[in-house]
Amino acid sequence: MNNQKFLSTVVLALILMLGGVWVAGAQAEYSEAPMLAERVEAGELPPVEERLPENPLVMQVEEIGTYGGAWRRGFLGPSDYNNHTRAVYDALVRFNTTGDQVLPHLIEDLSSNDDFTAWTLDMREGAKWSDGEDFTSEDIMFWYDGVALNEDLSPSLPAWISNSDGSAATFEAPDEYTLVVTYDGPNTAFPLELANKDGADRTVAPFLPAHYMGQFHPDVADADTLDALIDEGGFNDWTELFIARVFPPDNPERPSMAAWVPVEGSNLSSQVFELERNPYYVGVDSEGNQLPYFDTLRFSFFSDWENVNLSAAAGEIDWQQRGISVANLPVFLDQAGAGDYTPTNLPTFGGSQVVFFNMTYEDDQYRGLFEQQDFRQAMSVAIDREAINELVYLGLAEPRQPVPAPYHVYYPGDEVAQLYTEFDQEAASSLLDSVGLDQRDSEGFRTFPNGDRLELVIEGSGEGVYSDMMELVAQDWNDVGVRTDIRLQERSLYFERASGNQHMIGIWGMDTSAFPFSGNPKTDPAYASGIADWGPLWIQWFQSDGAQGVEPPENVKQLRELHEQGRLSNTEAQVEIAQEIYTQWADTLYQIGLVGMTPSFAIVSDNLGNVPEVIANDWPLRTPGNAQPETWFFRSE
Amino acid sequence: MVRYVIRRLLIVPPLILVFSVIIFIIIQAPPGDFLSAYIAQLAAQGSNVSMDQAENLRQQYGLNEPLIVQYFLWMGNLLQGNLGISLDMRQPVATIIADRLPATLLLAGLSFTVTWILAVPMGVISAVRQHSFLDYLFTVISYVGVATPNFMIALVLLWYVLSNFGINLSGLQSADMVGEPLSFAVVLDLLNHLWIPVLILALDGTARLSRIMRANLLDELGKPYVEAARARGLSEWDLIIRYPVRMALNPLISTVGWYLPRLFSGSLIVATVMNIPSIGPTLLRALTSQDMFLAGSILMIYSILVIIGTLISDLLLAFVDPRIRFEA
Repeated sequence: MNNQKFLSTVVLALILMLGGVWVAGAQAEYSEAPMLAERVEAGELPPVEERLPENPLVMQVEEIGTYGGAWRRGFLGPSDYNNHTRAVYDALVRFNTTGDQVLPHLIEDLSSNDDFTAWTLDMREGAKWSDGEDFTSEDIMFWYDGVALNEDLSPSLPAWISNSDGSAATFEAPDEYTLVVTYDGPNTAFPLELANKDGADRTVAPFLPAHYMGQFHPDVADADTLDALIDEGGFNDWTELFIARVFPPDNPERPSMAAWVPVEGSNLSSQVFELERNPYYVGVDSEGNQLPYFDTLRFSFFSDWENVNLSAAAGEIDWQQRGISVANLPVFLDQAGAGDYTPTNLPTFGGSQVVFFNMTYEDDQYRGLFEQQDFRQAMSVAIDREAINELVYLGLAEPRQPVPAPYHVYYPGDEVAQLYTEFDQEAASSLLDSVGLDQRDSEGFRTFPNGDRLELVIEGSGEGVYSDMMELVAQDWNDVGVRTDIRLQERSLYFERASGNQHMIGIWGMDTSAFPFSGNPKTDPAYASGIADWGPLWIQWFQSDGAQGVEPPENVKQLRELHEQGRLSNTEAQVEIAQEIYTQWADTLYQIGLVGMTPSFAIVSDNLGNVPEVIANDWPLRTPGNAQPETWFFRSE
Repeated sequence: MVRYVIRRLLIVPPLILVFSVIIFIIIQAPPGDFLSAYIAQLAAQGSNVSMDQAENLRQQYGLNEPLIVQYFLWMGNLLQGNLGISLDMRQPVATIIADRLPATLLLAGLSFTVTWILAVPMGVISAVRQHSFLDYLFTVISYVGVATPNFMIALVLLWYVLSNFGINLSGLQSADMVGEPLSFAVVLDLLNHLWIPVLILALDGTARLSRIMRANLLDELGKPYVEAARARGLSEWDLIIRYPVRMALNPLISTVGWYLPRLFSGSLIVATVMNIPSIGPTLLRALTSQDMFLAGSILMIYSILVIIGTLISDLLLAFVDPRIRFEA
């Protein structure tokens, strides 16, 4: 052995030793909640070092919290499924608190190749399901082969893993802790999509405990055993059984990766749906204390939202925004001192409430009118948005077009956000005169040039704020001589009519405006949302590749093209494209923005710690899930 | 008598069949189905369900069969005693009903008892001491009770107690008591919550019942047999309780049958307002979410109880009044 070789061996050995000491040192610093320490002592659980992955998720905290307590929320039972989704936000990658970044969560890293065609998920070695089994790439492959590609479970392929030709993207697992997803073209929306694949809306999350769910799947399970399980549970076939077992809030036995898991015997149908800390949760705070801080999460069942509001007013809820009504703000302010809580405003993440003309309405005369930009502009400036703001939102919202929030990178600028929102009924009148509506009938209302009666009808869901807004908009339009009526409808009926192209004018919330490239963006003319249908027949045309529906004009095709481009571009280019989309959107007035950044109150208990001051609030962000409730804690006094 | 009962019983099966069709049609009458209502609800919460998601959900819920097939599947299961699985609650309907039955029966039973305990004496005193101070007092209370919707009283009471004492009276149990094993503390907590809905529900019933009792008794009091009994020197209260009150109670007793379905469904609006885990609010939600199996089963049981209740009333009447028996 020559000297040099010896030296390098010594150095290597030293590095290994030091490394070993460092790793051991790091491990020794992990600590855990008292309730888990007890179970470790009793021999029911392995020590915390063995439960955490080699490289745990370190969550930044303002201050180191203390363990304990129950986070109390109110919910409406199984149909309020997403209440649980928002609280646990159990996804491979997650949006951050301010909603502008997607960060690795259950996985260690997410990266792509240069042209964004292949995405690599690096998983945490040693991460475990809540029953202690390893969490590996096999768990994702099980979903891909067994759920996404299985036609019994998924008659149509989930859109986010489909290639441009409709085939499925390829999932490959080179080893236990690596997974590669390959598309046939660039896909920059992948991280955004993945951040919302958390089992929301009862869609199966793309990571499943293969060792547990396998027993309900014919690809894995033995046919006789499976049949016995189907009979035992009273199900008709294996898909029913599989679906009944796959969602953690339905089935407490199903292992989960979330910070809190349902306790035995508790599910969404329980009077109190109770979850407790997952002893294998992958997150720690900056000092190595295993998260979460709250011991339990309790959802109390209420028969309707008003009862949740009452309970919140009495101080029986710790943090909740869902279902809390702005109209009850005076009650909350009155009771806040006695109930030890503060109502905190979490404005919506940009967007706006909108009123929109059906651009593919059947009647030629009306549609001809709606197609004129000057007409839409006249109807926009005829609306007194300040009055809506004062009367409906206590003056806490702002008049704007449905574009992202000013602090978001996609914000197209004040000028665009305020476009055509200035209240000016004189300008509206002269614009209306110029589009041929200058003749009036005996009652003083405008008529079509041929003398036909002109009567607009705004249709909308009768719930919440919509009825008040419809009322105010109709009044303003009547004031400029356009006879307008409103029609309040039960929500489902309104949806049926809107997606069936039967409505003339609709009204709805144009929120989630900061996500033009993922999910089902409401600005993308190709997505049938059934919610804000400003051109149902155009949507049909895009979805059927021109076989059905009505061909849209050039500018709409261009808008569609922009969305498609965005999905293929890198982050910087996306900003530019998004701004272009919103500029066109505000300019065309396909949806006329009323007021946006609308107030939305959360009831926040006064003794909570680590709750961020500013929380971006939107459904894709899973608010409050994006604000890391795993790091929240109760101050003991 | 036996023939009369058999004839009445024979009408029951075809009636139930007719009811099942009507119920199914009513539940399916609103546009769309459970899934479109569910997607609309998700949208109201901010989600935006796409076509592929909707199709996969439809598969999950087994709603891709035509309506007529769905009806026969439902009826077929019902005849085998299988109420099906609730679409909304994702639990067997039988379990859901069984979970809510105790609270429903407890509340309805107690308010029924309180109603009778209060209403009969009030009616008697009002009638016997007509135009007295007590009569006027009870009359005022009755009018207020009949004229004010009881959910309104519930709302006002909830608000008053919250704003003055900072206490939330809704629900049947405090949040931390739910799911605890039965103990003295649990019962105490239950009683603490129970008296409010019981009182509110009883107020409504008492108001109506005491007015009927008063009117019935006033009719009886002037009759010759009362005069005759009084002339024979019976003590006043002994006489009233023994003869005219018993007569006046008969029409009330014949309405007992109607309480059977009410015991089952409970009060719908008050229970919703007060967040009581009974069958009423469950039915309301099942109807708005178009949860065919849950709403259908509750309505079927309700209809069957209406039939049985009416049968009991008829039998009681037949038992009391020979004319009905002989006509049959």
